[in-house]
Amino acid sequence: MLLGVDLQLLSQYVIAGLMIGVLYALMALGVTFIYSVMKMINWSMGQFYMLGSFIQYLLVVRWLGPDLWFVALPITAACVFVIGAIVQVVLIRPMFTGGIERRDEYATEITIALLLLLQSLATVLNGPDEHTPGSHLPNFTVGTLPVGGATLAASLGGITALILFAVLLRRTWVGLALRAAAQSRVAVQTAGVDLMRLDMIAFGIGVALAAIAGALLAPVYLVYPTNGAVTTTKGFEIIIIGGLGSIPGALIGGLLLGLAEALGSVFIAPAYQNAYGFVLVIAVLLLRPTGLFGERLRAA
Amino acid sequence: MKTMGRVGVAAALLVVSAACTPNSGVGAPTSSTGTAAASTDPITIGLLTPLSPPGDPAAGQLIQRGAELGVVYVNTVMKGVLNGRQVQLAVEDDAGTPATGAVGYRRLVTEKKAVAVTGQFHSSVNIAVNEVANEVGVPVISTQGSAADITAKHYPAAFRTHVIDPFRASSWLSWIQQKGYKKIALIAETSDYGVGLVNETKAQAAAGNMGLTFDIEQFDHASTDLTPQLLKAKAFGPDLVINIGVGAPADLMLDQANTIGLYPAVPMLISYDTPTRAQWFQLHPSDGVGVYFIAYFSPKEELSDAGTWLATAYQAKYNEPPAYGALNAFADVIVIAQAVQKAGKTDAKTLISTLEDPAGFKGWAAVPVTFPKDGAGAFFHTWIPPILILQYTQANQNWRDAKLEASFSKK
Repeated sequence: MLLGVDLQLLSQYVIAGLMIGVLYALMALGVTFIYSVMKMINWSMGQFYMLGSFIQYLLVVRWLGPDLWFVALPITAACVFVIGAIVQVVLIRPMFTGGIERRDEYATEITIALLLLLQSLATVLNGPDEHTPGSHLPNFTVGTLPVGGATLAASLGGITALILFAVLLRRTWVGLALRAAAQSRVAVQTAGVDLMRLDMIAFGIGVALAAIAGALLAPVYLVYPTNGAVTTTKGFEIIIIGGLGSIPGALIGGLLLGLAEALGSVFIAPAYQNAYGFVLVIAVLLLRPTGLFGERLRAA
Repeated sequence: MKTMGRVGVAAALLVVSAACTPNSGVGAPTSSTGTAAASTDPITIGLLTPLSPPGDPAAGQLIQRGAELGVVYVNTVMKGVLNGRQVQLAVEDDAGTPATGAVGYRRLVTEKKAVAVTGQFHSSVNIAVNEVANEVGVPVISTQGSAADITAKHYPAAFRTHVIDPFRASSWLSWIQQKGYKKIALIAETSDYGVGLVNETKAQAAAGNMGLTFDIEQFDHASTDLTPQLLKAKAFGPDLVINIGVGAPADLMLDQANTIGLYPAVPMLISYDTPTRAQWFQLHPSDGVGVYFIAYFSPKEELSDAGTWLATAYQAKYNEPPAYGALNAFADVIVIAQAVQKAGKTDAKTLISTLEDPAGFKGWAAVPVTFPKDGAGAFFHTWIPPILILQYTQANQNWRDAKLEASFSKK
C-alpha cells in the first residue's frame, strides 16, 4: 500500500497513464511541429484527427478488413498529408504571400473556420452515428494491467510513428530543411530553399501525425464527427507543458499529462480526470512560463 | 484591401460551415406563423432536440424522425386542426447544451411562433429550457428528459412523457433485489442525468434498508478514457455495474470494461435504451451480447391506432421499426395537436389547462396520455411509460427479440 492505495492498482494506473501519454504526445506533436516551422497555430488539428479516424474506418471496413489495419495506416496518413498540403496551399499560403499584416489573427480565423467546416461537414455526411473499424487483436497483459490488443497496437504504433518522424527530421534533406526553418525562416530562404514548398510539407506532415493518432485510436475510442475535440484540448495542454515549438517537449509533455491524469485519478478521484492536466498546466505556467522545453524569444 | 480579402475567405468558410450545421433547415418551415395570423395559416410546433455533439445526435435524429411523422399524421389522418389548419414543425438544435437549448426555445417561441415545444432529450438542457418557459409561458413537453427537476418544480408550462429518475431507480433496485446483487458499482457522468440517478438510487436503497453497498465513480461526459474509473470499480468487486453514460461514453464504458476484465465477468446494466439502436452490434460485435439494458416499450405491447400508423409509416420510410424516441416524439406532436383542437385556440394558458384535462389524449400506447396537475413531486404533469429490463442473448439479435428480464409500470 502507498498512501492508502493498493500497489497493484497504482501500477495499473501508471501503465495506463504512460500508454495514453504516448498517444497524447502524438496528438500534440503535429501542433507543435507546424508551429515550429510556420510560426502559426493550427486550431483545426482535432478535425484532422477525426479525418484520420474516418479514412481508417472506411479503408478497413470497405476494403481491407480489420486484420490489415496496419496497411490502412500509411494510406490514411498519405491521404491526410495530401489534404493538408491542399489546405495549406489554398488557405494558409496566402498569409505568407498576400501581404497580410497580422498573420496570427488570419491563421487563427482560418483554422477555426476550418475546424467548424470539417466538423459540420462530417456531421452532415456521416450523420450522428458512431462507428468502429473493429479489431481482431487479442487482449494482452502489460505488467499487471489487462490491455486491449487495439490499445496496445495504438501505443506501439504511436511509438513507431514518433521514431519514423525523428528519423525523417534527422536523416533526410527535407528534415534538415525543416529543422533549419524552425530555427530561422529568413536564413533558410536566403540559402535558396523554397520556403512555401517547405511550409506545405510541414503542414502536411503535421496534420498527418494527428491523422495517424486518429487512425490508431479508431477501434479504441470510436469514430464520430467530434471525436477530435479531446485531441484539441489535450494537444494544447501538452504544448503548454512541454513548450510551444519543442518536439521533445511534446513527447515529455504527453507522458507527463498521461501520468498526471492517472495519479490524480488514483490518489484523489477519477471524476476530475480531465482537471489534473489543467492543474499541471497552471503549475508549469507559474514555474516556467515558456514550458519545460520552450525558449524565451529575444526581441531585437 | 488584400488583408480584407483574405479575412473574407475565413468569413466565407465560417458561413459555409454554419450552413452545414444540422439545425439550418431540416424540417424547418420557411415562414413563421402566430396565433394572430389568418385562420388558414399553419400552426407551428417547435422541436428542440440534440442534433449535434456534445449532445446525443443519434437520439435527436430518432426524435426528429418521429416528430416529422407526427406532423404528417396530424395533417393527413387528423385532417389538420382548428377547421383544417395544417401543422408544421420548426426545428432547433440544442446540441445537448443548456445555453443553446434556452436560446433555441426563445427562437422557436418568439421568431417561429411555436404554440408548444417538444423533443427534449438531455435533462440538463430540459431544466434550463423550463426556466425560460416558466417566464414565457409556452408549454414544453419533454420527450426523453428523466431528471426529477424537470417537473418537480411544478412549473405550469413543464410537461413530460418519459420515465423519471425516481421510477427508473426504483425499477432497477427492484430488479437488483430479485437477482440478489449486493455490491453495486454506479459509473455515472457528471450531468443532471448521471448525478440525479446516483443520488436517487442511493437514497431509495437507504430508505428501503436494502443492505446494498455502492461504489460511485463519476466522469466528465467528454471523457474518452474511462479506464481509471473502471479499475477502481473492479477493485471494489461489484456484483453489478450500472453504466450511466449517455451516447459515446456508454459505448466506451462497455468496451473498456470488457478490456480490463470487469465485464462480462460482472454483469452490466445500461441505464437507457441505447442498445436498441440499429448500430449496436456493429459497435459491439463481441461484447454486445449479455448486456442488460433499459427499454421503455415492448414490441408485444398493444399500440394505439396512431401508434400502429406510426410503426407502419416509419418502417416504410426508414426500413426499420421505430425506436422509443421516435414513438414518443410522434406522440408528443399529436398530443399537442389534439390539445390545440380541443382548446379551440392556441394561446399558451388555454393550451396548458387543456393539456391537464384528465380525459387525456391519444398517444402511441393503448392507454391515453394524461398530465396530472395534482401529481406529487416529479410526477406532476408527467405521463410515464413502462420500464423494461432486457438482455441480448445472441449476437446480431433484434432488440425486439431480446430476453425480457423484468417489467415495471407506474400505476
